[in-house]
Amino acid sequence: MHLLWEVLQRAVPLITHGNPYLLSVIWFTVQVAAIATVVSAVIGLPIGLMIGLGRFRGRQALQVLANASLGLPPVVVGLFLFLLFVPQGPLGSLHLPITRRAVFIAQTVLALPYVVALSAAAFRALPGGLASQARMLGASRWQLAGLALREARIGVVAALLAALGTGLAEVGAIVIVGGNVYGYDQTLASAALYEANAAHYDDAVAIAIVLIALILVLMGVASLLQHFDGGIRLRLRSAAGAI
Amino acid sequence: MWHELRSAIPLIAGGNGYILAVTWVTIRVAVISTAAALIIGLPIGLTIGLGRFRGRRALHVLANASLALPPVIVGVVVLLLLLPQGAFGSWRIAFTLKAVYVAQAILALPYIVALTPAAIQGLPPGILAQARMLGAGRLQLSVLALREAKIGVIAAIIAALGAALSEVGAVVIVGGNIQNYDQTLASAVLQQVNDYTNYPYAVGISVVLLALILVLTGILTVLQQRAGGLHLRFRVAQ
Repeated sequence: MHLLWEVLQRAVPLITHGNPYLLSVIWFTVQVAAIATVVSAVIGLPIGLMIGLGRFRGRQALQVLANASLGLPPVVVGLFLFLLFVPQGPLGSLHLPITRRAVFIAQTVLALPYVVALSAAAFRALPGGLASQARMLGASRWQLAGLALREARIGVVAALLAALGTGLAEVGAIVIVGGNVYGYDQTLASAALYEANAAHYDDAVAIAIVLIALILVLMGVASLLQHFDGGIRLRLRSAAGAI
Repeated sequence: MWHELRSAIPLIAGGNGYILAVTWVTIRVAVISTAAALIIGLPIGLTIGLGRFRGRRALHVLANASLALPPVIVGVVVLLLLLPQGAFGSWRIAFTLKAVYVAQAILALPYIVALTPAAIQGLPPGILAQARMLGAGRLQLSVLALREAKIGVIAAIIAALGAALSEVGAVVIVGGNIQNYDQTLASAVLQQVNDYTNYPYAVGISVVLLALILVLTGILTVLQQRAGGLHLRFRVAQ
């Protein structure tokens, strides 16, 4: 175990001394994870609601499609986006390759299937009577959506957590679209990859420790949210509003 | 994009030697790492799912948490253990295909360990208690649980296989992403784009990767949906 131990001992001071490179990578990682999760929630939750609660033909097919898109390899998603972004591509005029914006977009696209597929599954799992009762009581579409979001809160937070997790851990797509440029568009995960490939093991381990700490903190906060506050009182309030 | 796709088609249809070799390596990595994860992970998953001991829930939480472990971190730790000065340096497998097997097996393990107990806990509560009451041994109980929870267990295998097929973080670190040696299809895409800017090859390899994922998950899904558990259950319970 001695190599790992020696490297660990040298890595800890790198973190505690507040190295500016490390701080900038942490800040960029937080930005990427936050933007990807928020944007994918804004786009994905309405789609998840539609698939989970909607009563239209092809709903099942959409759920299968959403599930299948969870299996897309990040490198393939990255390559697809990169070919859209290159100067000769359809989005070439936006000058996105090898920029931070490209990283934001790629992680959002990767996070979207998690939000859509998992939130739709959570909405589907709600007690059968709930939505139909609310509909019968004359709930509008918005009220129904609010009710479903509150009731399926645990599943929805789990979906957002999965989206956040990919934003923090994934490297395949962002390395392709962002080029993994040192100190510019690196996240902690892609910076660890960079340092390990450059045989800078002290830096790689320091970054890995920070990444694990960040994941633990964010996951801890999210699980608190998941178990915070009961749903029943909210449900009654919303049902009363519906009447 | 159409241009790249069109120039990629002859590469795939013509059976390009490089792409074929990478495909073969990828299949080996996926199958070997998933099999190793199953051999190690199923007993652990069964213990957590069936056991009635203190700390069972804590173990399950730990298994779930390990699903969130970033592959690059697994890669860094495994590499530091396998380097010549590391704890397993005498194996001399850093930057070889064997290191890739080890790293991917470790990445696949949490899927098996975390999802198997979840599948077992989802079984109708009576089945296992009844089998215990009828005097089923530990092995019989395990076989019964695996058969009954087949859908969930195969879903765990699909997830493990999917990780082995699409992940790049760990493979690139422990294997070094060496062309024609220890590359998988996913890590080859990364190299073709970043190092060679060879987009037709990258697209060709991506198409093969997607096809491989579809075929393997398709086969497993058919296995998952086929044959009921009921008649097997009675045979075991007798």
